[in-house]
Amino acid sequence: MQINLVDLSLVLLQQMCVYLVVAYLLSRTKFFIPLTHVTIRPPHKLACYVIFSLFCMMGAILGMPVVHAIANTPAIGAVLGGLLGGPVVGVAVGITGGLYRYSLGGSFALAAALGIVAQGLLGGLMHRHLIRKGKVRTLFDPVKAGALTFVGVVLELLIDLAVARPFGETLEIVLLIAVPELIANTLGAAMFIGILLDRRALIERQSSLFSAKALAIAARADGVLRRGFNQENSMTVARIIYEETGVGAVAITDREKILAFIGIGDDHHLPGTRISSASTLDAIANNEVIYADGNEVAYQCSISPTCPLGASLVIPLVGEDSHVIGTIKLYEPKTKLFSTINRTLGEGIAKLLSSQILAGRYEQQKAMLAQAEIKLLHAQVNPHFLFNALNTIAAVTCDDPEKARDLIGDLSTFFRMNLKRPSQIAPLAEEIEHVNAYLQIELARFSDSLSVDIDIPDSLGRVRLPAFTLQPVVENSIKHGTSQLLRPGHVSIKARQEGEVLVVDVEDNAGLYEPKPTGQGLGMSLVDRRIKNCFGPSYGVTVASERDVFTRITIRVPLEAASK
Amino acid sequence: MINVLIVDDEPLARKELRRVLSKTDDINVIGECSNAIDAVGVINREKPDVVFLDIQMPRVSGIEMLSMLDHEKMPHIVFLTAYDEFAVQAFEQHAFDYLLKPVNQARLDKTLQRLRRDREPQKIDQLPGANQLRQIPCFGQHHVQLVRMEDVEHVASGVSGVYVVSTDGTERPTELPLHILQDRTPLLRCHRQYLVNTDCIEKINFLENGLAEISTKRGQVIPVSRRFFPQIKERLGIL
Repeated sequence: MQINLVDLSLVLLQQMCVYLVVAYLLSRTKFFIPLTHVTIRPPHKLACYVIFSLFCMMGAILGMPVVHAIANTPAIGAVLGGLLGGPVVGVAVGITGGLYRYSLGGSFALAAALGIVAQGLLGGLMHRHLIRKGKVRTLFDPVKAGALTFVGVVLELLIDLAVARPFGETLEIVLLIAVPELIANTLGAAMFIGILLDRRALIERQSSLFSAKALAIAARADGVLRRGFNQENSMTVARIIYEETGVGAVAITDREKILAFIGIGDDHHLPGTRISSASTLDAIANNEVIYADGNEVAYQCSISPTCPLGASLVIPLVGEDSHVIGTIKLYEPKTKLFSTINRTLGEGIAKLLSSQILAGRYEQQKAMLAQAEIKLLHAQVNPHFLFNALNTIAAVTCDDPEKARDLIGDLSTFFRMNLKRPSQIAPLAEEIEHVNAYLQIELARFSDSLSVDIDIPDSLGRVRLPAFTLQPVVENSIKHGTSQLLRPGHVSIKARQEGEVLVVDVEDNAGLYEPKPTGQGLGMSLVDRRIKNCFGPSYGVTVASERDVFTRITIRVPLEAASK
Repeated sequence: MINVLIVDDEPLARKELRRVLSKTDDINVIGECSNAIDAVGVINREKPDVVFLDIQMPRVSGIEMLSMLDHEKMPHIVFLTAYDEFAVQAFEQHAFDYLLKPVNQARLDKTLQRLRRDREPQKIDQLPGANQLRQIPCFGQHHVQLVRMEDVEHVASGVSGVYVVSTDGTERPTELPLHILQDRTPLLRCHRQYLVNTDCIEKINFLENGLAEISTKRGQVIPVSRRFFPQIKERLGIL
């Protein structure tokens, strides 16, 4: 058989191409990922062993018989297996490949098998050497890998010469296959590493792109929804997500309405309008992510038939106890596909926003409690009131010791009831008792300029409301109302039943209420928020006022609380 | 004999103070007022030697009341308070007399002793708030009206006294002299007889002889005298 050098080289290069195509295809699978990094863990080592053994055997199969030998490329698998997997993997690949080569037979079989083992060992030793020197990156250097394979092939040829007999024939064959094998194996190893590097760069680029997007959104949206889950803050967050992900449109909804919508279709998807999309309502009702890709699952905008949006991803925002508080929606137009990155990112964003909203609500509640405590402490030791009361009692003592005793009793009652915790619930009758004690002292202080009338039907005395609700309201009417008058002041406290609601009006004739006066609003809004916290948003405190004529503060609580 | 005026909005507090003061022979309580506005009138009319002055009172606090008085002809002030940390701090800092309610007899005796010995002029100007008018008390026939600074267009002094003219054109007499209003309000002196609220100026017309006149937004013309013109230009940033 007459084989010339050039033909053999071409054949081996063709082989190498097939080999590399297989390598490339394999690189698209996830089996390949362990190979892109230095493998430490046993499962990765095993994957490394299996893959390179296969390559090694493939190199042997694809070989071209030359007399009694085979010109082939198993060196790539053996050397790289050792280089990337370490000495153990290298030798294991070498033995596997060697045994296989041996099974193919021929006068070169033993020599070639030994050569393959030697190549695996060579790669492994180089691996250990480089790791010890800390040059991990050099493992993935295509030129170095090619050079090492070159050395491996030379080693193999020497072993051939030493082991295969008769020597003359061996020498002839070795001279024939040396150059083609050297070229094919060296180039093949270098390009194999090149494929690995490309693959790794791709993975890293994708994951860094993903991380960068996620981090950018997290950083920009940080704390926005913590300040409250409302239209304004939702718009800010929606804009951030829209800008960072580059999707067609972004919407944020609460359970009822659209809070924010930015992007394609914002002419008819209007913030503030009710949710009309069935998939969104489903997502809210069932707490599940709903993805309509517009392909397998049909998507049609529920508002406008001409809407250019063609796919939507609805992710619920989840609050306490898996209660859905709203949704975040990503859209793509009909002309564009939903990228997997944006789908995954969307779910991550939803988690991030959910926890922000939760944190915000928690903080708000904490701040409210703290404020209540502070307010209560102030109330307990309102020094101005206390010393004025004592001064009044001092004045009364001489002329009317009996009255003085009464006032001391009132002062005791007042302070004793102030010691109630703000979280406690008290019946209206008890609140009135508290107010009464307070009023007795104020009436004594302003005897010539203050009058009060209280009209509470006995039947309402058992209605329950947060303790310390009524007194601050009445104190407010006197402190910021009647006591600022140059004419006589009057305060009336009236309770009535309106359907299932207890309504208490506290009205003064000063009319000095100003919507946001310094220091005054805090007490009122605190009372209001405590009632809302207890009974819900339809109850609380409202104010009506006409300048210089009257200020009426109205407290509403449910009657039914009496039975609780 | 020391003539004393008590100013406090609580009748029992006044009664209590009167009672403790009555134990001494040389103190003569000439009257009581239940608010600062009445007190301004009484102080200007009766010229008491000493005023016991409560701080917390309706509409005008005791300290703000001081801004309505001529500091050159001030009675001696003894402040009264049930509890007011900030005020007490200021009193301590500037060595003003003050009493805490309920009044402690020993403390009162000390204060009275000081009043008898010498009544050094008090530096009322140093008290925060005592030098700044937020509203001008104007006296009608049966009532006192407090005109807020932003409602004042200008103040004019004539033969019958000083008048505060509001932005709606209403004229109200006040007992405060022009120079006190000039010192304690942002009003700008433009003439020997006029102060003007700079926010109400529409334009300034330059006349001959270096004279000028101000037109207000309401259309009122207020003369500008040569003497005050440079100050006006400076204040309004006209070059």
